[in-house]
Amino acid sequence: MSRTLISHAQLQRGRGRAVYWALLAVVVTAFTLVFLGPLYWMVTGALKSGREIAQIPPTLFPRDPEFGNYVDAWTQLNLGKLLFNTFYYAAGAVLFQLVLDTAAAYALSKLRPVLGNVILGAMLATLMIPAMVLIVPQYQTVISLPLLDISLIDSPFAIWLPTVANAFNIFLLKRFFDSIPEEIMAAALMDGASPLRTLRSILLPMSRPILGVVSIFAMTAVWKDFLWPLLVMPHPQTRTVSVGIYAFAGGTPQNVVVAASVIAAAPTVVLFLIFQRNIMSGLTTGGLKG
Amino acid sequence: MATITAPAPARRTAHPRPATTRRRRKIQDNLTGHAFLIGAVGCFALFMWYPMIRGVVMSFQHSRRGVTSWVGWDNYIRIVNDPSFWTAWRNTFHFTGLALVLGFVLPFVVAILLNEFRHAKGYLRVLVYLPVMLPPASALYLFKYYAYDPSEAGLFNALLRAAHLPTSEWMQSPTMTMPAMVIASTWMNMGGAVLIYLAALQNIPGDLYEAAELDGAGLVKRIWHVTIPQTRLILALLAMTQIVATMQLFIEPLILANGAGTQDSATSVAYLIYQHGFFQNDLNGAAALGVIMLVVLGAFSAVYLRLSTRQDR
Amino acid sequence: MSVPQYRRVAALALVTGLGLSLAACSTKSEDDGGTDAAGKVTITVDCQPVAAQKELLQNWNADVTEFQKQNPDIAIKSVSVGQQCNNPPDFTARLAGGTTTDVFYGYMTDLQQVLDSGQALDITRYVTKDTVPTWDSVDPALKVVFTDGGKLYGVPVKNYSMGLVYNKALFQRAGLDVENPPKTWPEVREAAKRIAALGDGVAGYSEYSAGNTGGWHFTSLLYSQGGTVLSEDGKKATFNSPEGRQVLQNLKDMRYGDDSMGSRQLLQWGDLLTNAAAGKVGMFIGAPDTTQAIVSQFKGRFSDWAVAPLPGQTGLAKGTLGGGEGYFFKKDLTPEQVRAGLKWIAYQKLTPGKGQFDYVRAKPQNYPVGLPQPLLFANGSEAQKQEFDLRKANANVPVENFALFENNQLPIKGEPRNAQAIYAVLDSAMSGVLTDPNAQVDALLKTAEEKVGQLLAAGS
Repeated sequence: MSRTLISHAQLQRGRGRAVYWALLAVVVTAFTLVFLGPLYWMVTGALKSGREIAQIPPTLFPRDPEFGNYVDAWTQLNLGKLLFNTFYYAAGAVLFQLVLDTAAAYALSKLRPVLGNVILGAMLATLMIPAMVLIVPQYQTVISLPLLDISLIDSPFAIWLPTVANAFNIFLLKRFFDSIPEEIMAAALMDGASPLRTLRSILLPMSRPILGVVSIFAMTAVWKDFLWPLLVMPHPQTRTVSVGIYAFAGGTPQNVVVAASVIAAAPTVVLFLIFQRNIMSGLTTGGLKG
Repeated sequence: MATITAPAPARRTAHPRPATTRRRRKIQDNLTGHAFLIGAVGCFALFMWYPMIRGVVMSFQHSRRGVTSWVGWDNYIRIVNDPSFWTAWRNTFHFTGLALVLGFVLPFVVAILLNEFRHAKGYLRVLVYLPVMLPPASALYLFKYYAYDPSEAGLFNALLRAAHLPTSEWMQSPTMTMPAMVIASTWMNMGGAVLIYLAALQNIPGDLYEAAELDGAGLVKRIWHVTIPQTRLILALLAMTQIVATMQLFIEPLILANGAGTQDSATSVAYLIYQHGFFQNDLNGAAALGVIMLVVLGAFSAVYLRLSTRQDR
Repeated sequence: MSVPQYRRVAALALVTGLGLSLAACSTKSEDDGGTDAAGKVTITVDCQPVAAQKELLQNWNADVTEFQKQNPDIAIKSVSVGQQCNNPPDFTARLAGGTTTDVFYGYMTDLQQVLDSGQALDITRYVTKDTVPTWDSVDPALKVVFTDGGKLYGVPVKNYSMGLVYNKALFQRAGLDVENPPKTWPEVREAAKRIAALGDGVAGYSEYSAGNTGGWHFTSLLYSQGGTVLSEDGKKATFNSPEGRQVLQNLKDMRYGDDSMGSRQLLQWGDLLTNAAAGKVGMFIGAPDTTQAIVSQFKGRFSDWAVAPLPGQTGLAKGTLGGGEGYFFKKDLTPEQVRAGLKWIAYQKLTPGKGQFDYVRAKPQNYPVGLPQPLLFANGSEAQKQEFDLRKANANVPVENFALFENNQLPIKGEPRNAQAIYAVLDSAMSGVLTDPNAQVDALLKTAEEKVGQLLAAGS
């Protein structure tokens, strides 16, 4: 391991060593409390009765665990369907971005057609535009696509297609492609390989890390989005899990809402814990290269 | 779409071509390039560029019962005269400012700390990133119902009470609304920033620290003269995206404060857009507010970029 | 295929790829007129009860099955839009997006908005004795609410007025007379104080202040004082008045003077009912059917609850807020679909002994029968008599719990024009007085008045 702010040697010596271990112990305890504590509170809180939740001071362990809250949450909120929807939208967004954004980044980086820079500029300009600013006209657009007069409301395309317009991911991909030496490309083209083939058999295999990063970004963006799916996926059968919980929170007992929140969070948390090594290394190494 | 993965027949074109063929070839290449671009460009056109224009157009119109008419600056006048307008901006800036202190500085400190640890690093990194994996509504209902309960049945108040500190009504107190939202928002989102900082920190060459130490630089000086300059680009970039993101504060007031909070203490500009558009059935007014937000953030971005590039020289 | 040709194909494929994927979703918006080859008329209807309302949902589904059996040429597709069938922003989004069901639920106050959105269909000529057999018995005042410019746009299916809902068990524990609930706001204050003194986080009186429900209840409280929200012509806000100040002052006194309203505020619809079901609320104002929600959705006990007429400042209320619900019809329906929709509403909502009036079915269920609701039929009409007799015969709740309410009919006032937008503004006056001990009643009302003034000036 390379040297960081404090040298390795310093941490091995008497006082440095003591301070290091003390600090580590404090940080580990604090982080566990701060980041796992609330999750524990959530899982057990959902087991408490309405009366127990309102109790002062709050109890650390539920007195008579009401597992029924979880059952109620699952059935009443139709969580299975909501979770499926969310994963479906996220997977589609990943696919659309991988295909269309990679193609675009490739064109901008290697094929460089006329006006390519203008297009890149126009794309990057949208980085400055917060999503909220465009929410109303975007919504109007989705209600009735210009020229085609098609409504995308309640159609997954209303989520998939706008996610393709992601200048940040295109920029990431382009930067990565830029870093691939021109000679490799030139050699392939001299060989008569079509641009598509070059992309497929030369560029893409080299770009796995960045594709992983873009996929994670695409996935979390859909996972975390709220207002957009709230507007364009209004039907109970097409809602995402966040929107679904919100829609039902107003008329559902608190502990059931929290039970639903736990169930909604469980799949991604579990997936994350299983794949955390890959995700973490992907995000920390791939994201900033190039 | 399947074309991208379909096998491409390769042909050898070894012979030199005449000039006309070369020109054709060039056109051909351009066409190919644009063919690769068309999907993304189409999406940008449809969902970014066109809505921008449409938003501006809408902000000067009024639609009712299927009839649309031009109304000049009426929408803007109405929006700016809404007593919540300035409150919303004040709240939004307040949130952005607090979020910068907490959500921008804290992850950096955490990243520096984590980067120094030789043990439990993986565990800590996972912990910090864990909340990012929750659906935002999940995390916010957790805070709303369990942490911010105004009575002492709430987790935070129980802890404060146990520590003999004054308790708070959290979302019900106009002064605590913003800090409470920032705390929840930072807890939910800081994992991403920590990971990015960690990556940046790992890219700092170790001999820079070595040299600084040999020069007699202490811990603080090393951070100031090595760590920060070395990560300045990332810091600047994240500060920018963080500000733009926090200016769009929406789901926190919607869920934690049931919308406006107490006496508009939680109303953000983004929430005001939603309120005008969907509570008051005034999409044109909402579009006008969107344009105002665009101008403000655009001006901010321009100034910010100018400043940060000037420092580079 | 040569290379250039191949490229052209690839380019074309990419271009059409996007186009195709767009076309693929256009099938969603296809319009078959709702009639299939076999001549069957299909309509979608919203406000199907949610799974949490077990019995109600069962009943609805049973009604659909039975109705389809009686009308083999009609297929009903039910949609459940959420706990609240009409959450204002979602409703607006559905209208703007044109994603309402064919026959869609709305509040009485929604007519203008539905008309503005251009989604409403004029159903005047379809509503006859053929489609809605009990139509002549329906209270004419309710028909007026859904009429604009002489044209009928909706069918009323529920009508309520507000009273004082109180928890008898808490009254008893606090030593209050269950038979003699408070008649004036000062008496409410006294009672609330005694109930709150029970401790254990119990609120003597509870009130809304978020999600538009605060403004809604402010309006009702204002009517009880004899005040109005808007002037006759609907052009001026009139709630910044002595009556309006009294409303807020009463709340402020209870909240901070007596601390009898509990610490948890910023409540919206379900929050208050959840607390009430948990036995933490002594009194609140609401229609008798809120007790249904407490029982069926929030697992409260029905026998605990009673309803009294709305109090006023010195005697009973000078007026009480009335409201209600109905179904609208989407603009592009075929005449067959409209008739099918009307038949369904007539069957499920407007026939004594069927659907919502099937008291025989509801009696053994965990669902209260005997509430003086939903006053749909005109006094003295045939349907009203039938409904009344059925209700009395099958009542499963102590009728005396509602006797006070029923025997003291107060003048009913409708909601103001543009209600939801005004309610959003009034929310902040309510939240101000309930969460800020230093709130200035005058200032709160003045701000709200300004805001509503701008709303009205904008004419939106």
